[in-house]
Amino acid sequence: MILLLPLVIALLAPALILTLRDPRAATRAAMFAGGLEAVSLFAIVWQVHTHGALEAGRYFRADGLSSIFLFNIAFISSLVLVYASGYLSHTGEGRFSSPRWFYALVFLFLFTMISVCLSADLGLMWIMMEGTTLASALLVGFYNTKGAVEAGWKYLVVCTVGIAFALFGTIVLYLAAFKAGMNPAAALDWVSLMDAVSRKGFDPHLLKLAFVFVMVGYGTKIGLVPMHSWLPDAHAEAPTPISALLSAVLLNCAVYALLRYVAIVSRGVGPAFPHTLLLIFGLASMMAAGLLILVQRNLKRLMAYSSIEHMGIIAVGLGLGSPLALFGALLHIFNHSVVKSLLFFSAGNVRQNFDTLRMESISGMAQTLPQTSAALVIGCVAIAGLPPFSLFVSEFAILSAAFSEGHYLVAGIFLAVLSIVLGGLAHHLFHLLGGEPKRLPARAKLSPSEYTVMGIAALCLLFFGARIPYLFDALLNQAAAVLR
Amino acid sequence: MGLVEIAAGKVLSSFSAFLFLTILLLAVARRISTCVLLFSLQSAIIAAEVFAVGFQERLAEAYVVGALVFLIKVVAIPYAFFRLMERLKTVREVKAATTPTQSAFIAVAMIFLSYAAVHSYGQSVHVPADALAAAVALILTGAFLMVSCRKALMQMLGLLVMENGIFLAALVTTFGMPLVIEIGVFFDVLMGLLLMGIFAFRIRDTFEHLDVSRLRRLRG
Repeated sequence: MILLLPLVIALLAPALILTLRDPRAATRAAMFAGGLEAVSLFAIVWQVHTHGALEAGRYFRADGLSSIFLFNIAFISSLVLVYASGYLSHTGEGRFSSPRWFYALVFLFLFTMISVCLSADLGLMWIMMEGTTLASALLVGFYNTKGAVEAGWKYLVVCTVGIAFALFGTIVLYLAAFKAGMNPAAALDWVSLMDAVSRKGFDPHLLKLAFVFVMVGYGTKIGLVPMHSWLPDAHAEAPTPISALLSAVLLNCAVYALLRYVAIVSRGVGPAFPHTLLLIFGLASMMAAGLLILVQRNLKRLMAYSSIEHMGIIAVGLGLGSPLALFGALLHIFNHSVVKSLLFFSAGNVRQNFDTLRMESISGMAQTLPQTSAALVIGCVAIAGLPPFSLFVSEFAILSAAFSEGHYLVAGIFLAVLSIVLGGLAHHLFHLLGGEPKRLPARAKLSPSEYTVMGIAALCLLFFGARIPYLFDALLNQAAAVLR
Repeated sequence: MGLVEIAAGKVLSSFSAFLFLTILLLAVARRISTCVLLFSLQSAIIAAEVFAVGFQERLAEAYVVGALVFLIKVVAIPYAFFRLMERLKTVREVKAATTPTQSAFIAVAMIFLSYAAVHSYGQSVHVPADALAAAVALILTGAFLMVSCRKALMQMLGLLVMENGIFLAALVTTFGMPLVIEIGVFFDVLMGLLLMGIFAFRIRDTFEHLDVSRLRRLRG
């Protein structure tokens, strides 16, 4: 029953928040609900760690793989909510007329994402995945400017069409299970499917067809090239806390959904087929995003392309499939979430101080905004995969797995992309920080809510770079065990 | 044989032909209202198909699903579209990027393509090739409408046609997904349309037109 607790909280919170007309009260209610939400999620993760998989009825289940994603949701959503409390209060009146709608939609968004990670039924998982698009479309279009409306429309249409392919793939998988003589009631349940697919002789053609459609469908939501067109627009036009949620939580939920199918299909037709597809899409994303990072002019679009690149890295790690690569990919999911939140938070501060994100109209930030600049530098060093930060560990694990498995081409492309991105980030960063200040910031100092969350994220990066805590290591191993 | 059985048999044997007809008509229609009516007709054919399958396979769930399809896709969604067009006061033409003749040719090509695509799978899953081809053709047509038409409303309609195709694919191969899941999918479709409606108003208010091909501020 503990499984239903975060879902109930995430549904009750919007109802409560929408009744509060005072923005301060709405913010306080959101912080309280967010705290409860995080505690209940951590409780589930702990229970799974100590007692193994949990179930609630036919439709909800959590195992090792879900718990690592739930941990990620709990951690990042807490950071984002605290950051949003400061961000919304600084944003001018009128333009941001109702924080209560903002928080209510955020909790609905969280509800759908948590449901994706908790559903035991692939059909329900699809419904909730589509729900994530619906819940966040209004958040992407929140500012109601031309750019925001365009980004929101594009996001809604591209993701709905993409996800429709995943529904088709799910139906084909259901058909394969149905033909193999599975009970229709259990033919969408991932545990029964994983069990039956190796015993009952599913039609391999249908399994492959299903996986191709699901890969395209959920790949759209992950932001893999060439289905990524919604991602930079949505990330750049959404309010900054939402950009962080999209990048650090939503993309990962889509990875989670895809992983369930990878686990089923590789038991049926062998791991080579899904792994090859993951490698192809992953490398394509890394290369395309790596090159596009060089030519970006908008700070948040830059971050968005970097998200595509890192989703590519994760896909490559999952596609290599050896224990070390899986460990690296799962660790990278969490590391990327943390660093991307830190970077989006910094970008949000830039936007609030200069009222623009166009990089050519900002310079000399090191003098005018020293704290934000420090956060940006830490974030960029970390995201480039340099030590002593945690992304070095996970990227190094994936890279050494590629070498030890004999995938020299993959390893070569991987290294080349990382160097290009490092160069691109350094170029943009020097331009932003150095030189004479072009304009003065609105307020140079960070507010307590901002430096708290940014400090926590930076410390987390540093800490995980030095050593992975025992508990997190156990979580990673449990998750990897599901995939093997 | 009772009258109902004969009717069910006729529906099952002929619905694909009628669906192909709606596909061709959708491709050449010039007015959005015609397209909406065609969508409604198409959904009515599919609803009849659901009832026929339910009758033949003795599935009580299918009657619920059929009633839902009828209420939502044949009545509610077309009605909402007409209301939306009235409120938006937009131009009624489809404004496709292709001429009707070209569209008709493309639609025919897509029907052939669907037959070719399902050819190898039809045998292994014991489904009549016509039914499966109709489903794939609907998905392709929906995608084609979304690409070729510039109006926001037509993109919504294209999405619905695609969804019809996916629904049909599930119906002819496995007699439909479990009821709970079908209801969830319907809910998502409805919410998705509602949101797209909201965005259609926002596009009109901020850009003063509904031509989504002219939304090109965000690039690179």
